[in-house]
Parts: sequence; structure tokens; C-alpha cells
Amino acid sequence: MLKSQLDYNLKVRLPITVFVVAISYLITFMVSKPERDGVGYSPDQPIAFSHKLHAGNMQIDCKYCHISVDKGRFATVPSTNICMNCHSVARKDRPEIVKLTQFFADERPIQWKRIHRLGDFAYFNHSVHINKGIDCKYCHGEVEKMDKIRQVQIFTMGACLECHRNPHKKMPELASKVNLGPEFCGACHR
Amino acid sequence: MGKNKIWKGLTELRNPERSRLLKEQEFSAETKEDFELSQLGGISRRKFLALSAATAAIATTACSNYRDKGSIVPYNQKLENVLPGKPNFYSSTCTGCANHCGILIKTREGRPIKVDGNPDHPVNKGKICAIGQASILNLYDPERVKKPIKKENGKSRELDWDSAFAEFVNQVRSAVSRNQEIALIAKPVFSPSTARLLEEFKKRFGTTTIYTYDFLESFAKLNAWKQIYPKSDLPEFDFSRAKIVVALESNFLATEGNFVKNIRQFVSNRNVDKPEEFNRLYAFEGDLSLTGANADYRFPLHPSLFPLLLATLINEILSKYSNRLLNNKVPKDKILGLVANQNLENFSGKSGINKSYLELLVKDLIDNQGKALIVTGDSLSEDVHLLAFLLNEILGNTKLYTAKPKPRFSNSSFDDFVQLSKKINAGQVGVIINVDCNPLFHFPEDLGLKQGFSKVPFVVTLTEDNNETAEASNLILPINHNLESWGDYYDGNNLYSTIQPVIEPIFGTFQKEDILLGLVNGQLRAGAFHKFLMDFWKKEIYPSSNFGVDFEQFWFSVLHDAVYIPPSNTVINSYEPSFDFIEHKKLIAELTNDWTLVIKKPYFVGDGKYMNNGWLLELPHPITKVTWDNYAAISENDAKNLKLENGSVVKLQRSGKEIEVPVFIVPGIAEKTIVIEAGFGREVVSVVGKDVGVNPIKLFGLDNSSNGYVFQDIKIIPTGKFRQIASTVEHHSLNDTGLKDLHKSRHIIQEGTLDEFVSGKMEIHRAKELISIIPEVKYTGVKWAMVIDLNKCVGCGACVTACNVENNVPIVGKDQVVRGREMQWIRIDTYFSGTPENPSVSLQPMLCQHCDDAPCENVCPVVATNHSPDGLNQMIYNRCVGTRYCSNNCPYKVRRFNFYDFRDRFADGYLYKDSLRLLNNPEVTVRSRGVMEKCTFCIQRIAEARQDALANGRQLKGTDVKTACQEACPAEAIIFGDMHDKDSELYYWRNHKLGYFVLEELNIKPNVTYIAKLRNKKSEEVA
Repeated sequence: MLKSQLDYNLKVRLPITVFVVAISYLITFMVSKPERDGVGYSPDQPIAFSHKLHAGNMQIDCKYCHISVDKGRFATVPSTNICMNCHSVARKDRPEIVKLTQFFADERPIQWKRIHRLGDFAYFNHSVHINKGIDCKYCHGEVEKMDKIRQVQIFTMGACLECHRNPHKKMPELASKVNLGPEFCGACHR
Repeated sequence: MGKNKIWKGLTELRNPERSRLLKEQEFSAETKEDFELSQLGGISRRKFLALSAATAAIATTACSNYRDKGSIVPYNQKLENVLPGKPNFYSSTCTGCANHCGILIKTREGRPIKVDGNPDHPVNKGKICAIGQASILNLYDPERVKKPIKKENGKSRELDWDSAFAEFVNQVRSAVSRNQEIALIAKPVFSPSTARLLEEFKKRFGTTTIYTYDFLESFAKLNAWKQIYPKSDLPEFDFSRAKIVVALESNFLATEGNFVKNIRQFVSNRNVDKPEEFNRLYAFEGDLSLTGANADYRFPLHPSLFPLLLATLINEILSKYSNRLLNNKVPKDKILGLVANQNLENFSGKSGINKSYLELLVKDLIDNQGKALIVTGDSLSEDVHLLAFLLNEILGNTKLYTAKPKPRFSNSSFDDFVQLSKKINAGQVGVIINVDCNPLFHFPEDLGLKQGFSKVPFVVTLTEDNNETAEASNLILPINHNLESWGDYYDGNNLYSTIQPVIEPIFGTFQKEDILLGLVNGQLRAGAFHKFLMDFWKKEIYPSSNFGVDFEQFWFSVLHDAVYIPPSNTVINSYEPSFDFIEHKKLIAELTNDWTLVIKKPYFVGDGKYMNNGWLLELPHPITKVTWDNYAAISENDAKNLKLENGSVVKLQRSGKEIEVPVFIVPGIAEKTIVIEAGFGREVVSVVGKDVGVNPIKLFGLDNSSNGYVFQDIKIIPTGKFRQIASTVEHHSLNDTGLKDLHKSRHIIQEGTLDEFVSGKMEIHRAKELISIIPEVKYTGVKWAMVIDLNKCVGCGACVTACNVENNVPIVGKDQVVRGREMQWIRIDTYFSGTPENPSVSLQPMLCQHCDDAPCENVCPVVATNHSPDGLNQMIYNRCVGTRYCSNNCPYKVRRFNFYDFRDRFADGYLYKDSLRLLNNPEVTVRSRGVMEKCTFCIQRIAEARQDALANGRQLKGTDVKTACQEACPAEAIIFGDMHDKDSELYYWRNHKLGYFVLEELNIKPNVTYIAKLRNKKSEEVA
């Protein structure tokens, strides 16, 4: 049957190559899905800060550091002086705190790696959600159990709308407080 | 043919056998060599593993990393009161012109993004003009001078600050030691602390002379005033108490005096609910100005006829109504001697103005003594000003005079500059210091300053951006923008205000006072003037404050308000006339009813300083809608006679000087009158202002001070050249009978007279109840709507600029405006009716009407524009694919399409330069190429108000939101709010009997209500 090199190329090599490429694509697609959505993203931070320790074990309120979360669009990553409120005294000898103190002393702002990010065309507002009583965990997961912060939820428009359309299913404890989330475009895009 | 062989290649020609084989066989022999599969061997284990590894490798390399999302960099030490995402507001004072309005600067994360009026300021009361709004662009202008520049032998090089300053100090000191004059040229100084600094400067360097001047200052007006009121200063006018205003070539609503205040005061008597308080504005003018466009009665008048008009009025009043005059102190006979032999018939014959109007005017003036104002334009001659002041005095209108802010040093006269020029030529001047001014552009060439500069050992210019004066200097020192500076202001009566910086100097410059103070102290130090200023306030102003707090508290509270009114507030202005001048005064020179050139102040470019501000250059001229140019405005008949059309370039000649300027035909301009706005035609300017307009100051000689800026010795010569003018309005349709008065027949503009309205005869056209094919949507809760009161709107353009700044509207450039691609979301439409010789002008701000049944929404194939539950017509950029169907279907033509990434396209990516990126409002998307955009009713402000309401646990109210245009409107003509809130102002006006929708019969339910304009005319005369 196979008479020539051409036949061989067409009948054997090509299918194998197509198969390899297709399988690679499929695996890539499946494996990278959470990564494209960012789920599980957990980069090394300049300082190995543990939410589990602070928010979990020590029960420090989120708003102690994320001061703007009920005031404006951004929750804000705390400025270093908020860390120093405690760490100018507490655990001064630990290597990570030494690093922190050094940043503060050098007046070098810390470049925290960003975990959660929406498209520039979406104007998410933390304060309207927090002031409605919606818990941080619905988007950010159980942060108080994370030693190293990572993304848990998908941050796509579909994910936003899922909650906005079915808030009571998602957040049964708020059934009496929250109606429907707004669904009109201008609520987020302007 | 048979003989000549056709061949494709040499092979075919030379080796036919080989060629035959090649043609017969599709594949070459090598590729189809027989072979045995069994000899090949199967896929080996190794090969399989290799393939698997490759598969895995491809998969893993594709997804071994998460996308990097950048970093978040919080403050190291958080600033007090600065929260990312929340704006901060600081009050300060605008230094864009001599009016010094109070401003409120909105900053985000430490960078100013918007400038509005300071609501606590007693003069401008929260409003500023278009220039003030747009001045923020100058702060971030990437073409500001950033380093000291030394110019030597035609070459320029950058210096560091230390050596530049050292050289400056040496030059000043050696000039003093040579006993040569140090000429310090500046704009009028209103700052008491700067004045103190300049006094110390004079003390330190004894040979200093200070020259201050204002652009196109009306020396004629000042001279006239001093003849009749030698003891008082030139006043301003209180339009809020004036029932009758007569504007003679005066543009008090747009360029003259504190026009923001003037607009507010003038329209305060234009409330349709108080018809008895309505004022009446007469305008006599050669030009068609914005003030004329707003007049109840407007008469085109050749500029040479103004003295005659006033003389006639005075004569008429004194001879016929002398028994009704309330003011007995005027020497009637003396004045009659001056204006004898004038009567209404005579004037009516000469001017073509119907006598009945003049009689009405005289009657109005007599009936409203003490409540009328005759206002003269800054361009006019001494005689006109003198007669107008005289007429105001006769009628007792001086009651409406208020104190005009007075600079610390009285301005130099034109003669002072002539003297300076002489001293320069005599070698008596050692150093010239130009402090934030551009005399080489502002003064006529005949003054010889430019040649003089080369004779002076050292000329230094302190400036923000490169200009004509800087170019001719030995040293250029870059200075801070107003928003980077400290300072103060005193109006000479009872109002202090302060200037505070809201951002560190972006380009590492120093403020001008720091440099001057450095000269005094011998050491340049940033912040030195801040300390000087505080010391001055501590010593001079704080002690009399009686606040019972320490200085620091006092100072911070003053800075917070930026306004300080001292407790001892007992300034009474009296205007004691003297009529001595009449004896040796001869009025009414022979008329030359020939070509006359009037130079007027520009609307939006200040003294030429704003020629690098694209927002202002692209802001359409209020009447002609011309952008990116000035022009010689002429009447239609004159154009016809000279065979000129819009854009035809003419040569204007005057005593050996000439300029070439394009003409633009403006309806309503007096015949044989040419009007040019000055301030344009900068030669040394940033890339934005290159080739914009013509500089008419080039026609000035040294003789112009008492004749004002009206020139009769002018020749106009067509050149046959043509210059494209970018106007957003087409004037030629005026004469087309098919289009004539289109706006009235379609009820776009609905107008009436006050009498008609009061007597109930005025009818607003309403559309019949129509059935809509669109299912009705029920709106509950807040639903946004706007009302624009056309009685109040004067068309100043502040709203357009405010919208540009708030909504990141790009500058597109002249070539794109010509193609109709300007991007402004709100425009002010001008409609003319009546004759082109004297049209009635109607102005109408036009923006997205947010129709309930919006035609744009139905045609969008991707639903990128749709309706929100609070009644907004939303435009979603990330969904838009740019079909432009919506724009095609919009009856109001308010949608704007990004034909390019205009930021990238305009002047080679000028708007993408680093410093200009800081200018954008972070709450509004910067639109990219290929998407549609339009007015959003400031949805970002609505979102912010909603957020605040939620945070405070209350319902969102209509009054919580102010749109940018509403906030900026000096006339408060724009009302925004919730149409369901029955107690609101908006609800009242939306349902007012004078309210109408534009194009109501389309039944698309627009949400912007216009309040029909009432003209205070006698009914029978309405066109």
C-alpha cells in the first residue's frame, strides 16, 4: 500500500503529528483553565505574609489593614506604616519582620504581587458590596485559612453575574438584606 | 508564428527531452522511489517516548505560568486623608487672568484631575470659565520647559539650576554695580506678598524698575475715566441690579471684566417665574459677540458711529427729558454744548436703525434711572468711554458701580514701555527680567523691544513654556504652574484669597517668587517663598484678624477656605464726578464710514498663553464655531463685493504693516467692519499651537493708546489664497429658503417674548399624543433627567470644557474637525433666524437626550447601547464593535465615533506622553479606536453618589448628583436630578409650562427638557 515516502508522510506522520498537537492543545486547555482564570494563582510575595496567622489565629479584622474597603472602590493593600503599628514592637527579630522593618526604614514601598485583577473596563466597587453586608469570602475565599494568599474564585463577568442573579442561593444568610444585584451594563462599565 | 518557437525556459529550449519528462511527471522521481515498509521499522520505544515528552513539554510550557498581574504598591507611610480611589479637594486661586477666581481642585492619589470654582468664593461663587477648567492641561503639558536653558550665539543648551542661578545673580549684581537699570516686566501683581517681595527686590537692587501690564489693556477707558472721575479707580458693574443694560461693542458676558460674575449677575434677572424682574439687554456692535447674541435688541453698528450714538442719546435725554432726570448735579447746559446738534432722526438715518427702537431705548433709560448700565467694550476709543461714563452719570447709574480689583502697583502706561525701549537703546538697561509674561508677543514690533533685547547685556525669562520672549532671551528659567505654587491675592478692597500647591513641581521647576526671593537672598531654595508668604501673613494680616486663635490655626483655616475677608470691612466707593474736561473737549470727529478694523480679546486663549492648550483651541468659537484659528470676520455683503468666501485669505495693510488673514463670513456683522480676535498666531509655541491663527498685533503702531483698538486706516486686499477653516457650523444655509428658519419650523428652538408669556399668549408647540410601537417600560425609583434653561444659558462654553476634562475627551486636531470628527460630548448649537444682516441668534446646548425609546438602541447589532433601570442610555465600550448604526440613527447627532485612537494620532502621540497620562480621570474609561461614545450623564458621579448613599445607609436622591456641565455652568442653567422626586427643582422645571423637548414629535421620549427662551421685547416686533 504504502508505496512512497509521500504516502508515508501523509498516512503515518501527519495523523501522528495532528494527534500530538490536538492532545497537547486539549491538555493545555484543561490544565491551564484555572490559570487563565487565575484560580490558584499564588505568587511569592516580597514578604511572606500569612493571612492565616493574622486573620485566622489572631482574628484581626480585615478592615484593620484593608482600611478603604467600606469607603471606596478599592480595598487597598495596607501601607507599611499599618504593619509597623504592631511590628515596631511585635516579633521584631523574625527574618520576615526584619525585611519589613528594612523596607519601612528605607522608605521603600513594598511591591506586593497583585492576585485579583479585573479588566480595566470594569469598575468594581468594594464599598457597595461590603456595606451591603456581603462577606469578603464570597470572592476571596477563606483567606483566614491561607498561609500564602491565592485566588480562589474566577473573576469574569459570568462569575459576577452568577451572584448578582442568584444572590439568595449563593448567600442564604443575606436573604433578608440583599435583593438582586444590578445587572445593567452601566453598573460596572462606564 | 510557426517559425518562432515559444519557450518558457532555457531547459525547454535546449533540452526538450528532459522538459517532456518534467511535464509528464507530477512528482520528481526521487519522491516516489519505491520502498518496503517492513524495512522502515515501526515506531521505536524511544521514538514514542520522545513524542510523549514533546506533547507534555508543549502542554507544560503553554501553562507553566500564571499571567503576571503586576503589583500593588501601597504607600510606605500613608498620607493623612488620602485614600486610593477617593478624591481630595483643595481650594486655591486661579491665576489664568486678572480676575483671580477662587478654585476648588479635585485631586486623586495626589494628582490634580479637575478644577472647578470654589463655592465659598464671594465673587465667582463656585464657577469658573472654560480657561480655568482647561488650565489643568497646561500643568501636565509635556512641552513645558523643564531645565534652565542658556542661549548663546543662536545656540541653546541646558544648564543645571545652580549654574543658571549663579549666572543670573552675577548679571544682576554687576548691572547694579554698573548703575544700569534692572527692568522687571510682569503681569499685574495682585498678590500682597509678591508685592512685598518686589519691594524688597527693589531695595536690594536699587536700580530696579517694575513694569506691569495687561494684555490689550484699555488705556482709552482708563484715560476717559480719569477725566471724569479723577479721584476714583475704574469700576466694575453690578449687573444683578440693572434692569436695562446697553452694551456698546462690549462682550461683558464672555471676555471683559469678571465675566463669570457678570454672567451670574446678568442671568439672575432672567428667571421666567419672575417676569417682573426681567432685565433688557440692548447691544450695539460691529462684531457679533456672545453678548450681542444674548441681547433682546441687537443692532449692527459701524464702529465709527459709537460716539454719535452716545451723543445723540445724551442730547435726547438732556433736551427732552431734562425735567424727569433725578440727578440734578450734572451741568446740563455744559454737556449739551458738547453734544449739540444731534438728534434721533439724524442718527437713525446714518445708522439705519429704526427710530422707534431708539425712542424705546431712551424711554427705558429714563424710566430706569439708577437701574441701567451703559457698558462699553475695551476696544473702543476714549471718546466713547467718556460719553458712556457721562451718560451713566447723568442717569444716576453710578449706583451700580462696584469696586474693580486693583493691582498692588498701578499698571505701566504704554508710554512707560516706550521709555523703556528708549532706555534700552541708550544702553541704560543692564538686565531685563520677564516674569511669566510675553511682552514680545503682546506689544507691537514698533516698540523695538525685540531689537532692544539684543542690546541688553542679559535678558532672562521666567516662564512655564517656551514663547517669543523666552526665545529672544539669554536665559530661560522654567517656573511652576499655578497648581504647583504658593501665593495669595488681594482685590484691593476687602477680599484676600490664597494659592496652595496641590502637587510637587512635576518637572523640578521653581516658582517664580522663589527665584526672585533667591536673588534677594543670594540663594535659591524651593519653598523659600512659602515661608516668606507665611511670615507676611503673620505680620501683616493675622494681627488684625481678631480670631482669637494662634497663627497656625488661622493660617490653616484660611488655606482651607482659600478666602479671607478681614473683619474691618468698611470700604465705601464713591464716584465724585468732575466736569472740567468738557471745556477743552471736542467730540465727534468727521466720520469715515470706511473699512474699520476692530481688535478684540479672544474668547478662549487668554493673552496667547493658552495657545498650547488643545482643549481650548478645539473649543468652538461661541458664535462661528471656528476651531483652531482666528479669522477676519466680515459681513456677507462685503464678502460678496470683494468676491471672498470663508477661508479666502486677505491682506490687511495699515501704515506699512501688513498681515495675511483668512476671512470668515459672520452674519450680523456691520458692513465695512473687520473684526479679529487677538492672542492667536504665536510663533514660538509648543507643537499644539503651531500654525494656529494670525497675530493682529502686528498691525499695531505706537499710536494706538487713546483710540482704543479700532483702526480706520486699514486696507483690505484679496490675495486669492485660501486657508481651510475648521468650523463646526455651516453658515451658508442661512440664505437657503428651504432651510431658512428650519430650527423654528421643527420646534428645535422655541422662543417667545416676555409680554407674550405674561399675557398668556405664548404657546409652546407640543407633539400630539402618539402611539409608540415600542413597549412601554415602567421605571421605578430614581430616574435621571436634565433641564436646560435657555433663558439663562449664554453659551460661554464652560460646560463643554468641564465635560472634556471630566470625561477624558481627546483632542482631535484641526484636520479631524474639518472632517466633522470632533469628540466633544456636549456642544452648543447656534441657530440664526431673520436676515443675515441682523439675525436673531439662538444658542442651545445639545447633548445626549437619554431618550426612553432611544432610536440608537434599536439598531445596535451587538446591544452595546441599551437602557438602564434609572433611565440612562448606556454606552458600553467593551461591547461596541463600531458599526456606527447608532450614530446614524440618532436624531440629535450627539454620538461621537473614535475614527482613530485620537490620543495617539493627535500631534504624534502628544496625548500619550507620560505627564499627560496623569491628567485622565481614573473613573472614566479612556476610549480606544473604533468605539462609539457619548454623554453618559456623568455615570461615574452617579455611581459615586450611589456608593456614598449606601455607605451612609440612605436612599440615593436626585440632588446627590451634579454633572460636570451643571457644576461648571456660571449661569446655573443646567439642572439635573430625579424626575420622580416631586419636591425637586428638576421636577418643577421639567413640568414647567415653558418646558419642551427638542424633536418631540419623534416620540422617542427624550429626557432633557429645554425651557423656552423669552426675549424681553415688545411683542409686535418679534421676528
